[in-house]
Amino acid sequence: MTDTRRDSDLRLVLGLGALALASVALGPYILPTFLINSLLRAILYAAVALTVDVLWGYTGILTFGQSAFFGIGAYAVGLVFTHMGFSASHALLALVLSLVVSASTALLVGWLSFYPGASPLYASVVTLALPIVVTQILFSAGTFTGSSSGLSGFESFDISIEIWFWISGTFLVLLTGVAWLFVRSDAGRMLVAIRENEARCEYLGISVSRLKILLLMAAALVAALSGYLFASMQMVVAPEYAGFVFGTELVIWVALGGRGSLVGPVLGTLFIDVGSAYLSGNLPYVWKLLVGVAFVVVIVAFPGGLLPLPMALLRRLRGIPPPARGRGPMLELAEPRALPGLRGDSASALVLEGVCKNFGSLRVLDGISFRAGRGELLSVVGPNGAGKTTLMRCISDGAERSRGRVLINGFDTGRLPPERCVAFGIGRKFQTANTFDSLTVAQSLRIARSRLERPWLLHCSRTLALPDAALQVIRATGLDEHLDMAVRHLSHGQKQALELAMVLALEPNVLLLDEPTAGLTKAERTLIGRILRDLTEHHGLCILLVEHDLDFVREVSSRVIVLHQGQILLDATVAEVVESELVRSIYAGVGSHGESPS
Amino acid sequence: MTPALELQGISSGYGEALVLREVDLTLAPGEVLAVLGKNGMGKSTLLKTVMGFLPLAAGQVRLFGESIGGHPPHVVARAAVAYTPQEQALFQDLSVEDNLRLGLRRDRQLRVGIERAGEIFPFLPQRLAQRAGTLSGGEQKMLLVARALLCQPRLMLIDEITEGLQPSVIERLSVALRAECERTGVSILLIEQNVGFARGLAQRYAVMKRGELVDQGAMHGEDTAARIAAHLNV
Amino acid sequence: MSATVLDIITTAALLYAVAAGLLIVFGVMKIINFAHGAFLTVGGYAALAVTHWGLNPWFSLPAAFVAGCACGMLIERVVMRPLYSRPLDAILATWGLGIILGQLITLAFGREVQFVRSPLAGTMNFLGTAYSEYRLSVVLAAAVLAGALGLALNGTRLGLNTRAVIMNENLARALGIDSARVRFGTFSLGAGLASLAGALITPLSSVDLNMGVPWLVNAFMLVLVSGVSLISLGIACLVLGGAQVLVSTYLNPILGGLTIVVLAALLLRLRPKGFSRD
Repeated sequence: MTDTRRDSDLRLVLGLGALALASVALGPYILPTFLINSLLRAILYAAVALTVDVLWGYTGILTFGQSAFFGIGAYAVGLVFTHMGFSASHALLALVLSLVVSASTALLVGWLSFYPGASPLYASVVTLALPIVVTQILFSAGTFTGSSSGLSGFESFDISIEIWFWISGTFLVLLTGVAWLFVRSDAGRMLVAIRENEARCEYLGISVSRLKILLLMAAALVAALSGYLFASMQMVVAPEYAGFVFGTELVIWVALGGRGSLVGPVLGTLFIDVGSAYLSGNLPYVWKLLVGVAFVVVIVAFPGGLLPLPMALLRRLRGIPPPARGRGPMLELAEPRALPGLRGDSASALVLEGVCKNFGSLRVLDGISFRAGRGELLSVVGPNGAGKTTLMRCISDGAERSRGRVLINGFDTGRLPPERCVAFGIGRKFQTANTFDSLTVAQSLRIARSRLERPWLLHCSRTLALPDAALQVIRATGLDEHLDMAVRHLSHGQKQALELAMVLALEPNVLLLDEPTAGLTKAERTLIGRILRDLTEHHGLCILLVEHDLDFVREVSSRVIVLHQGQILLDATVAEVVESELVRSIYAGVGSHGESPS
Repeated sequence: MTPALELQGISSGYGEALVLREVDLTLAPGEVLAVLGKNGMGKSTLLKTVMGFLPLAAGQVRLFGESIGGHPPHVVARAAVAYTPQEQALFQDLSVEDNLRLGLRRDRQLRVGIERAGEIFPFLPQRLAQRAGTLSGGEQKMLLVARALLCQPRLMLIDEITEGLQPSVIERLSVALRAECERTGVSILLIEQNVGFARGLAQRYAVMKRGELVDQGAMHGEDTAARIAAHLNV
Repeated sequence: MSATVLDIITTAALLYAVAAGLLIVFGVMKIINFAHGAFLTVGGYAALAVTHWGLNPWFSLPAAFVAGCACGMLIERVVMRPLYSRPLDAILATWGLGIILGQLITLAFGREVQFVRSPLAGTMNFLGTAYSEYRLSVVLAAAVLAGALGLALNGTRLGLNTRAVIMNENLARALGIDSARVRFGTFSLGAGLASLAGALITPLSSVDLNMGVPWLVNAFMLVLVSGVSLISLGIACLVLGGAQVLVSTYLNPILGGLTIVVLAALLLRLRPKGFSRD
């Protein structure tokens, strides 16, 4: 993005924010009281819908549980004010309670839902169970929580309805603004990265589970705060506000407004909630039926929601092209640093001792042991099904091994997950280009750097510092000309190069490459080969390369391991392997009938 | 004579990335054609496109003269096309018998089918109740070929059946397929890396590189061996 | 004591009847059908209609099954098919369908809580305990259902095709199985089974719009811990349903209502495979 474009974006959001604040300020003078009353409720619902959008629309966590946190915030007010009476200190106590209880509940829910390997379906069902559990607890506490009728008639802040409107309106506008800045910031891009490709994030050293838990806790705090304001204002709490129907309504509003757009869910909530306040009196069932039909139609036919439709129409009517892309941030050289986790005393960069992998009764890897030093380029060859990719996985993810040890720079990786292994200095490039399709080149690289450089929470940095090796790959493949291009528009070769650059941005000194040249043109392969040789010769990297192209292997390797049916058949120099009749027969299957075409 | 399979300028791939580019290929009835080439060159994609698993980006697929581009896989399969994929080709948790049953459209033909399978691979009728996933690698491939032959195909699409097998098993598969060719005149499109196996079965070869067919010719011509070797760099 | 044992068995039978349809839809389509609760409600109201018309109460079971299947067929064709490639959206759409069905029922039947006539009102003496005949007949119904489903899946060609789609849809298609038709059949059958379960439940409780909701979440949890095995589902229903009865009887009925959800969530966290063998 160019500076002018960034500034115009900021001006736009400031302008819209000012406009929204002005309408909040003027609202009580213009709007009828009935509308103010229903808007008050809808505004706080919209704040919760915003958290659903950040969780679901941006991060891909479909949650039905935000109502529970809203309810926790509301019940903190209701319980404290009912049983202890209203005072300034009690109001503060209620606030602290609502925040602490909601955050710790979110921590528990996050621990349950976001363990490595959890299915998104499971997480959704846990968030569905949460409001049910909370309401049952409210029911079972009898008169303390007022059971099914809830609590009402407690004393609260003595504030006029106009002032409540200003408070909650300002709260919503500021919240939307902050969320808008956050999702567009360097840190916010990580949400999209997680949604698109969790595995790649983990292999870039990002703890996805931890980030999701943190995000859920933040969303819980916002929802609880909304509930706190709601109960203080309405002076009534009931189990429905924590319930599962409300939780699902939030999802419907977000979907109708347009998930992943922030403004859409806010407008969607305001319109539908105010609309139902008006219409459900006259057409109780028909109104809900219409909302249901609209919801299904939107999901099937317009998954982006309703907000993008008028926007696109407007754009077409005024003949404005979609926003053009600028040039992206300035590239610069990162400060050289001592390699992370590098221990001076370990002679070998990578050591494997008796690594085994079983799938059920099938043994895919059988006692693999070897060492590789710095500056070595070790190729692993063998027919399909020999276990090459499994070997890569077993080196980079401790949980994958059935038996055996892997040491990276002298560190035993034990059963650590990939994001922890990365800290010992290992980087893995996957077999097929494994990138973030809807992010730009620069954003992808920034995410790869986030382990070493904490990204900005509310804005985008104008520079992107990368290590020398990554810069070289980017410049040699011309990616520096496309920093602001979405990754899905790149060619296959460019994607492969980008993924390599992303892995190099981690500053690893052990590099695992799974068929980096598959599907590349001759020129691209030559280039990748040159870069790999340079990385070993001048940067001292230890590279483990899985490759089918024996020509390529011959050109770049310093040593070759031949894998066959899960065992090392040969560990030798390039010349020895090329000469070997055994390798020929198992690798290409040539000569299995005693005849050779050449 | 109408070709068994005719591909005219087909391109296809995954999403926006094209893997196959303008492939032309004709397979006569009763003919066996081996497509050779290294991994990642688009050979498996070719079969998946013919089967209808991948949408055609361009071109025409004709099966016995009828255009089948855009038909879903089960329709292609019901036109007497037997496809043996390279990976996950068997239902691992089903018994040998159920795997064979699924090769037939109706259970009525099962008894005769199992008898025939037993003639080709005698171990099969004794192991009907065993879970397919517990067979050895070679036995699994034999079951796979038996299932494909059960539906009396007019066209077989075989993807790297010899991969990771011992020479003796490869020989048995070769004998079985050759016998079927002679008996029924089935046409076979064979994807192979094992040149020896391909030579034993195919009358013609084609070499695929980076999604394009770069060479085609008779399998048993004078300079064939040298040409294939040059393409495969062995 | 023997009353508790009978409670456990009958509760497990009810849970099994409710969850079986959800399980087969989950197996074939890989989605959790949120409209399952609404189909349950459809069954409840079908039973109510049978009562209104003064027919034999036993007739409500086939009526509910047919009504559920019809709803399922329509919905699969119109809504589910375009969403094959977007499973999370398919889940949401089933939720929306639940709302639509619920509102349509309200328009037709009104919103107040209603009751249906039980086909068996008496009690019978079982090992010294007087126990509701109807609850015992539910066990029989669930056993018949389990047997029929198991036979259909494991004993027929259609069942084999369905299992093939569950295990590996692409391979099944390559062998000439029309997986779209299997999906259609499964979704319709799942809806019919849900509706049937709804009709089974109604004599034990009331008929109202939200009658499906508490069952729905329990059924989700049971399916998630069972994988795609009808046998695992039976075990899960007995173990978790049993825990629910014990907690309700000896601790607190409201906590009892949470037992399945909480235990299943914890079980899945600690052992992601749940009750399934591998």
